Amino acid sequence: MRKAEKIRTVIGEILLAILTVIIFIPIYYFAIGAFKTRSDIVQHPLVITIEGLKKVGFKNFAYVWGRTKVVESLFNTATITFISIIVVVIFASLAGFAIARVKRKAFETFYALLVAMMVIPFIGCLIPLVKQSVAIGTYGSIWACILIQIAWNLPFATFLFVGFMGGIPKDLEEAAYIDGCSMLGTYFRIFLPLLTPVISTCCIRCGVGIWNDFLVTSTMVNQVDAPTLMVSLYKFFGSRSTEYGYAFAGIILSSIPMITVFLLLQKNFIKGLTAGAVKG
Amino acid sequence: MNNSSQSTKKKTSTFERSRTITGALFILPTFVFVCIFVLWPLFQVFRYSMTDWNGISADMNFVGFENFKALTKLDGFWTMCRATVIYAIGVMALTIISAFLMALVLDKKGPLRINRGLMRSLWFFPCLLSGTVIGILWRIMYNYQNGIINTLLKGAGLPKVNWLESPNIAMVAVIIASVWASTGMCIIIFMAGLQSIDGSLYEAASIDGATGNQQLWYITVPMMAPSITINVLTTTIAAFKMYELPLNITNGGPGKATTLITKNIYDLGFMSVKTGMGSALSVVLILIITLISLIQLVYLRKREDIY
Repeated sequence: MRKAEKIRTVIGEILLAILTVIIFIPIYYFAIGAFKTRSDIVQHPLVITIEGLKKVGFKNFAYVWGRTKVVESLFNTATITFISIIVVVIFASLAGFAIARVKRKAFETFYALLVAMMVIPFIGCLIPLVKQSVAIGTYGSIWACILIQIAWNLPFATFLFVGFMGGIPKDLEEAAYIDGCSMLGTYFRIFLPLLTPVISTCCIRCGVGIWNDFLVTSTMVNQVDAPTLMVSLYKFFGSRSTEYGYAFAGIILSSIPMITVFLLLQKNFIKGLTAGAVKG
Repeated sequence: MNNSSQSTKKKTSTFERSRTITGALFILPTFVFVCIFVLWPLFQVFRYSMTDWNGISADMNFVGFENFKALTKLDGFWTMCRATVIYAIGVMALTIISAFLMALVLDKKGPLRINRGLMRSLWFFPCLLSGTVIGILWRIMYNYQNGIINTLLKGAGLPKVNWLESPNIAMVAVIIASVWASTGMCIIIFMAGLQSIDGSLYEAASIDGATGNQQLWYITVPMMAPSITINVLTTTIAAFKMYELPLNITNGGPGKATTLITKNIYDLGFMSVKTGMGSALSVVLILIITLISLIQLVYLRKREDIY
């Protein structure tokens, strides 16, 4: 009985290792492909040699850097992501604090509405959003993207914050009130320091979504005035390109920032995500 | 005595009232933003779907349900609905099953001492890439002549597969890429669910003579009900909303085999200036997603309550 179980776990582990390798092949493939020539990618997809590396080096990256507006794209995408995320975290944590801590019927109704909004497909509202941004004069600038990203990320972010704040003991808050702290003071002094995990989760989930967004940026801004990463990628490597090395270099350039952020915030990310979301 | 209790009451009520006001002020920014940029456009979509507006001109006439009738007569409307449902259900089912099994294996400490944190991060990696990136990457990998998948198949002595040229296989190809992209997130949530199960349940069960499979079926699965609910809901909704990934892998082809509703909304609204019909299709998509989420929620919640 015990032996059978042991064999089962070993088989499970081996399968896990094999599957993980298979899952990781695409990533390995493009990561080394960015440093290879096209024929090398096609003929030896999973091998990289020192000579090949010496020959190609960063040529693919240099090509992408020279041909596309990488710097402007990175800057615009980073600006959109950075501003949106800061506003989302502030607004959602404030709203989450009120919803989770001040029990009022009206607040709970609004919360139910927010949760329901997570279901709405963004693409369905694209046409009125274009008309609206023309009307308020943001169409064509990155501010159109920022405003829309803030609003469309708030429901999920608030959901995360409500879930997380519901789990913080009530005594902490009451002690602060007895000591004469206002609600804003309680939020800043008691809650904000405890929120690090869920803020990390929010930054990664919403930040990755905004950084990787294609629909908003491709409809709201054009590539001449305000190039953005994913739209540039789509334009250059979307359907026809057969220059694999360049495409892979472009993929790496556009993904590295989010991967770095993830690696930095990883520990807290999982803590914050599971504290709120799993409870449902 | 009477006086003092009255004054305390008054004090708490002012305290509570000030809390209500501050709370409302805290919620206000979120409320304003979602009203302007989510609810108002949503309302407008429903309004446009009843008009013959073309998106540019000033005149907009009320036409009732004409757009919806026109939609059902649209060439390939039912193919597209079927493709969307098959895609969403396929992605959801495969993601949930693979994520659940992976989480089960990752949760147990095995004798080989594989680093679980590292494994989890490796599985999560694709979740950081955008639909555009994943699409471009998999299109290159699926290439018939020189894609890595066919190269590996040939290396293993298997016949090459023409991934993107035949309708059914193309759908499978798009689903595989989507599952690859979404499994990591579900694994993390499942693992957290597994870790919150009380170990004494398993001890009691094994004392009573329950086998491993019985423990899995009668303890693990029911105790995981909340994380199953959240994962099923989020993956289904995300699959119905998906736009860039099929666009970049197959561009809706071959024929219209992988053209989902989302791509049609975009094409109707922005390419062929049939804003009314595009909005009607948006309404259809919104209703489908809402309906399916509600059914899943009611069904899965009921299962949660049973246990």
